[in-house]
Amino acid sequence: MEFLAYFGDVFVPVNFGLLLLGTIGGLILGATPGLSPTMAVALLIPFTFRLEPAQGLILLGAAYTSTVAGGAVSAILLKIPGAPANIATTLDGHTMARKGQGARALHLSFLSSAVGGVFGVLLLIFLTPVLAQWALAFGPSHLFWLAILGVTVIGSLDSSSVVKGLLSGCIGLWLATIGFDDIMGAQRFIFHPSVSGGINVIPALIGLFAIPQVITMFAKGRQRLDAEVLSVERHPVGQAVREMGRRTRALSIGTLTGSVIGLIPGVGGQIAGLVAYDQSKKLSPEREKFGTGHSEGIIAAESANNAMVGPSLVPLLTLSIPGSPTAAVLLGGLLIHGIFPGSDLFDNHPQVAWTFINSMLIGQILMCLFGLYVAGLAARVAQVPNAVMAAVVLGLAVFGSYSVQNSMGDVYVMMTLGTGMYFLERFGFSAAPLVLGLILGPIAEANFIQGSMIATATSSVGLYFFTGALNLLLIGLVLVSVGYSAWMEIMSRRYTTKDDAIEKEEALS
Amino acid sequence: MKRLIAAAALALMGLPGMAVADGHASFPDRPIMMMVSYGAGGATDFQARIVTMTAGNEDALGMPIAIINKPGAGGRVGWNWFATQAEADGYTLGAYNIPHFIAQSIEGGVQYSAESFEPIANWGADPAVFVVGADSPFNSMADVVGYATENPGKLTFSGAGLFVGHHIAALQLEKAAGVKLAYIPNNKGGAGAMKAVIAGDVLGGVNNLSDAFRAQEAGNVKILGVFDLERNAFLPDVPTMAEQGFDIDNASVNFRGVMVPKGTPQPIIDKLAATVPDMFANSRVAGKMKAGGSPMHIMTRDEVLDMWAAREETLRELLAGL
Amino acid sequence: MTDLPRSQHIVASGLVAAVGLAVVTISYTQEPTAAFLFPRIISTVFVVLALWTFGKAALGRTKVGNGLDRRAMISILPGLAVALIYVFWAAKALGFYTASTLAFFVLLSLYDPAPHGVGKTWVRRIVITAGFLAVMYGLFAMLLKVFTPREIFF
Repeated sequence: MEFLAYFGDVFVPVNFGLLLLGTIGGLILGATPGLSPTMAVALLIPFTFRLEPAQGLILLGAAYTSTVAGGAVSAILLKIPGAPANIATTLDGHTMARKGQGARALHLSFLSSAVGGVFGVLLLIFLTPVLAQWALAFGPSHLFWLAILGVTVIGSLDSSSVVKGLLSGCIGLWLATIGFDDIMGAQRFIFHPSVSGGINVIPALIGLFAIPQVITMFAKGRQRLDAEVLSVERHPVGQAVREMGRRTRALSIGTLTGSVIGLIPGVGGQIAGLVAYDQSKKLSPEREKFGTGHSEGIIAAESANNAMVGPSLVPLLTLSIPGSPTAAVLLGGLLIHGIFPGSDLFDNHPQVAWTFINSMLIGQILMCLFGLYVAGLAARVAQVPNAVMAAVVLGLAVFGSYSVQNSMGDVYVMMTLGTGMYFLERFGFSAAPLVLGLILGPIAEANFIQGSMIATATSSVGLYFFTGALNLLLIGLVLVSVGYSAWMEIMSRRYTTKDDAIEKEEALS
Repeated sequence: MKRLIAAAALALMGLPGMAVADGHASFPDRPIMMMVSYGAGGATDFQARIVTMTAGNEDALGMPIAIINKPGAGGRVGWNWFATQAEADGYTLGAYNIPHFIAQSIEGGVQYSAESFEPIANWGADPAVFVVGADSPFNSMADVVGYATENPGKLTFSGAGLFVGHHIAALQLEKAAGVKLAYIPNNKGGAGAMKAVIAGDVLGGVNNLSDAFRAQEAGNVKILGVFDLERNAFLPDVPTMAEQGFDIDNASVNFRGVMVPKGTPQPIIDKLAATVPDMFANSRVAGKMKAGGSPMHIMTRDEVLDMWAAREETLRELLAGL
Repeated sequence: MTDLPRSQHIVASGLVAAVGLAVVTISYTQEPTAAFLFPRIISTVFVVLALWTFGKAALGRTKVGNGLDRRAMISILPGLAVALIYVFWAAKALGFYTASTLAFFVLLSLYDPAPHGVGKTWVRRIVITAGFLAVMYGLFAMLLKVFTPREIFF
């Protein structure tokens, strides 16, 4: 209960002002395409040079919390996921916004973010020592199986065709191997100088989601004004709260999956949202509604990716190991003030540690209140005429992908992948599994190679990858996931005809 | 229309210095960017952000320096970009890591060598150290080598990648001790390699002194030896490799500094070379570096040129056997 | 539904299969073997799935994907051309802000349903474009301090 003693510090006027600044600034940064939470936090580090350590961390903690949630705004309204964490949010969130229910999608997303986020921070407060052990338990072989588990999600993400979903995933896995191989340093598939540094995930993400969107808007041509104006439904917050109450299954699946997976260094943050989405889809009686603007999809995805915020800091705060890129940047923010994470932090600087953690707790709630307040207004984005929207999204995509690492090559990659994806989508391929392959490929490969190097030095590859309780558990999950997808595919064949599939697609596009 | 936009844009820009073409007297007249070939939050990135934080002061460059990260493949992605695509106008600086980029250029497969870059100044020297988990049975390098002699090729130890400082240190250790070890390169840099040691995925590891110092403070690792010529001020109790009977010099010490691409105008190089070492010597910079556990080592352009040449020679010799 | 989407599906899946075959060939012929181990595994699965899809398309059994229709392609063409010129040439050659403003204005003029003959709609387009420029500049140059390539006019 030590954290309660430092709660007062959060409400000191200067600190609270910084908290508000970080929260609102974070939401704006998070909603900007191309600015992942890591970049946003890195941008704020210079501002903390002149602040007290606790104040600097309040700013960073608040910004981290709200950029993750802010990513959902562009995912829902523009179909540009701000970071890999928000991919799953586009699936139902954007579809809902397209039906004129943008306010509802945003309300649900902020409420479930807050629930997941508060739960995650509470885990960080109460269970840190236990969680630290769990985070360390994942060695190369386990991370490899975890990545494979992520790959099996691919098959069910794309509801229309399992084979094409897997094929899209393979394209993504292949794209991820372009460039220097991370361990050996060998060059692979470099057919153009733009990809000599490999394909960066963020520009790829922007291209694969935003550009097909832009081209689809072009395809509608010069429609008459009255034909395209969408009525945006007003949506009282109370209704969203009640809906959350009815969707406790999705909410608890999202929150638990997010906090458990978010802990695992290097993997968690990126796939927590997608895995939670997949799980709640598989366990929902209304699974056929997923992907058509179904509230459970948004709730599961957003509660998961905010629930991961707290646990993802456990390895940093207890063991001084940054478990995610964002945690690495936060480490810099601590070191600059001469504070070393680990036991030193909690023993000698408790006011810094607990004020930081408390500020994330309060930050979640502030973020939610502020988000709910602007949701109605933000949802009006859906009323922007097609022509303007297409041009704005194109501009944002260019600037966003450039700003990731000031590289023209990234912009070219973004546009090429995006244009290609539009045509692939017309033939039943989809972007989400492709991106998942792009993200998981390097994780699977690096851990497989490291694992087999350790294995050949000590025992044998078979023993290393196939023994041990955690390995077997993960392999079991992989088999269950594959089996379930296959079974669903066979079951659905019975009643899905070609016409049904086309009808469903028409509804989506 | 075009003129309208241009005028509007100019008004927005607040008319920054228009005199660009004649001479370089006014350099720098706009913000400068510095490329770091490792990810945000890594040791190089962290230090680069600190040593450049006073660049905007009047007595330094008078213009801020912004850090751009281009991580990937142990630094190869960033340095390839820097050698082939960065503009040689003095507004694009890069951070170098010795021995990393020289070792990679000797290994081949990259588009740069020491010839591709012009050093400006060095800010830090971070020796490699050998770490083992806090509960490891090893208490000295003799224990480690003893284990490796009994179990050839079975002593797994992590490091930040292939052909980086840690790998050089590993090769030197193998050579000096005359044993076969299993070096496991990590794809997540020093932080990933450290995690592998703490979690017990590997029996030991080579890591940066700054990171290892922190991990030792947190009670997670033991530091058994320093790959340098003399003991380090941060770790006065940890003996060097030479003290423990291994003939290992400072070839793996990670020197970090600033460089520009070849072809940058000489007056600009001279101006930078004159100002940047003083900028590093700023007391605020030194204070923050010390707080973060990062050893500083300021060297001028001429000293760095000599150091690069010397490293090139030793590394060629060491890597010739591979 | 005529046979048009079917032949389109054959071409599309054929292209994907061709990429797959190229990747497989490269993976199995390039050195060093250790670095290409993973690409080999992936590309093998890739090719199997791509050939399966191609086979299904050839037999006319493709269930999903509407293919391309002529009317939509004609609508897309000018916009896509502007977008490609903007990204691959103008952004670097003219500078980001100049090129983005021009591309924005052209796209707006092409796809905005308001009539082209009326002066008032042009004023409206210019105002929207100026607003876009102001927001982009404010966000990326002032707030985030992104270093964009040099502009041609300043």
